[in-house]
Amino acid sequence: MAVSYNGVTKSFRGRLVLDGISDVVNEGELTALLGPSGSGKSTLLKIIAGLIPLDSGRVSLAGKDVTNTPARDRHIGFCFQDYAPFRHLSLRENVAYGLKVQHVARAQRREQVDELLRLVRLEEFAEQYPHQLSGGQRQRMALARALAIKPDVLLLDEPFAALDAQVRAELRSWVHSLQQELGITTILVTHDQVEAMEIADRLVILNAGKIEQAGRPSFVYDHPATEFVASFLGPITSLGGISYRPHELELVSTNEPGETLEVREVVRLGFEVRVILGEGEGPTTWVQLTHDQAKHLNPRVGERFGVRVRSLKSSSSQSSPTRESTR
Amino acid sequence: MRRSSLVLRVLVVAYVGALLALPLGFVFQQAFSHGWVQLWAALHDHAMDLAIVLTAKVAILAVPLNVLFGVGVSLWIVRRPSRVSRVLDVVIDVPLALSPIIVGLVLELAYAQNGWFGSAFAAMGLRVMFSYPAIVLASVFVSLPLVSRQVIPLLREVGDHQEQTAATLGAKPTRIFFTITMRSIAWAAAYGVTLTLARVIGEYGAVLIVSGNIALITQTLTLNIGANFDNFNSYQGFVGALLLALVSVLVLTVIGVSRHRLERKRHGSFV
Repeated sequence: MAVSYNGVTKSFRGRLVLDGISDVVNEGELTALLGPSGSGKSTLLKIIAGLIPLDSGRVSLAGKDVTNTPARDRHIGFCFQDYAPFRHLSLRENVAYGLKVQHVARAQRREQVDELLRLVRLEEFAEQYPHQLSGGQRQRMALARALAIKPDVLLLDEPFAALDAQVRAELRSWVHSLQQELGITTILVTHDQVEAMEIADRLVILNAGKIEQAGRPSFVYDHPATEFVASFLGPITSLGGISYRPHELELVSTNEPGETLEVREVVRLGFEVRVILGEGEGPTTWVQLTHDQAKHLNPRVGERFGVRVRSLKSSSSQSSPTRESTR
Repeated sequence: MRRSSLVLRVLVVAYVGALLALPLGFVFQQAFSHGWVQLWAALHDHAMDLAIVLTAKVAILAVPLNVLFGVGVSLWIVRRPSRVSRVLDVVIDVPLALSPIIVGLVLELAYAQNGWFGSAFAAMGLRVMFSYPAIVLASVFVSLPLVSRQVIPLLREVGDHQEQTAATLGAKPTRIFFTITMRSIAWAAAYGVTLTLARVIGEYGAVLIVSGNIALITQTLTLNIGANFDNFNSYQGFVGALLLALVSVLVLTVIGVSRHRLERKRHGSFV
């Protein structure tokens, strides 16, 4: 179900958190609300869910105005960053809560809960209590609980932030495939640009209560509308006063025409090799090489190289190969 | 080092013994000093039995009132903070800081026949002072913060995410209160109830002033014990004291259990 909000404004104790922002989230899409902490992204998510009132603006679901509809009637699944497990209820009872509210008959309820637990791969933990589960398991429990009411929209507030790196990566791709399988309109809040780029169909980049840019991840990455978006989505460096992504630049031998710079530092990060170059007291330039390129050129501190912008074709294919293949 | 810690332990045990165990032991010894037959007779003392009934009647009304108020005010202070609720958060502790005698005097000022509210009640033909309502009022007053002081920190710690999640799952506020909120604060409330019960049963000063201490009519168990000692009927007083001591042992047990459960709940949920 499509979600749209128009001119949403919200202040907390005189501090403007959301400054009249508007957007439309298409049916079945996964949108990532991306921004630094304090940018208002979580507040926006709670306003869409109806958990906090807005000062002005409208929120619509499938074209129907729900601005004054209480959260319980919006039919929106919501997962908090801390998963908010009902501590005194077993995993099964947690998942069944929404069905009980809807007075689903016992036998049917049991069947549906079993199915959901299978979906989130927690069948064998059904009778356990939240404190007996790991972070990742609690996260999946929260997801199953939200999905139990067959929501039209799923809202996830920093769903992976509290997990360690490996579990986070696993759950991220799992949630992504689940979302695609169910085709449920999803809005996910995150401050992690890699996470957003990896699973979102669309990015909405928030800063200080305003939308800086919205669009497909690869497009936003390649064509940042503002300096903020450019630096937030990935590292930027400058060459001759113009901003570039470090991988958009390449090193060429001093035989080629053009100015040269001196290598200051070479950092090998596994597959990637970071080369920092400069001239005298002037600004440094960061050139990102692949392992193979670095092996071929073999830059050493003190050597001189020409620096130039890679041809457009290779640059765009490199910027987000995964995105191009999944779309 | 070891020697000094041993000395310290002996000192602590001796201190607690002199302050607590000896006097309590003395109460038991005195109550049983005349044998079982006498004790049985003393337990059937008419004035004391009426006092016990009155104390029970006061507790039956004062404790639920305190729970209702305590839970309600805690929710207000934590979930709907405002300037008024923040003031209340401080004011609510006044009964703990105030001597019970002052509480009694203030209540008398307010509710006496010619007092601020008392005159209004008198006009309706109701007498508040020196009667059952006055004792309940004084008991509620002195134990006012005991439930909320237990519930407020727990409500803060638990946060409102569970309640908000329940709302997105379609639950109405009353259902959320009974299935989520009440379940998370149940042990804290229970602990508060036992503290309130102990305070209500044991209160002396405030009740002494507002009840008028009329034997057979407005005399609670503590007042009855006091009166017996005053009237050189100390054996009867010790029997009453024995009953109070037994009640406090029971209350302490319940407090111990509920506090244990509460702590396990708090720590267990973050494993």
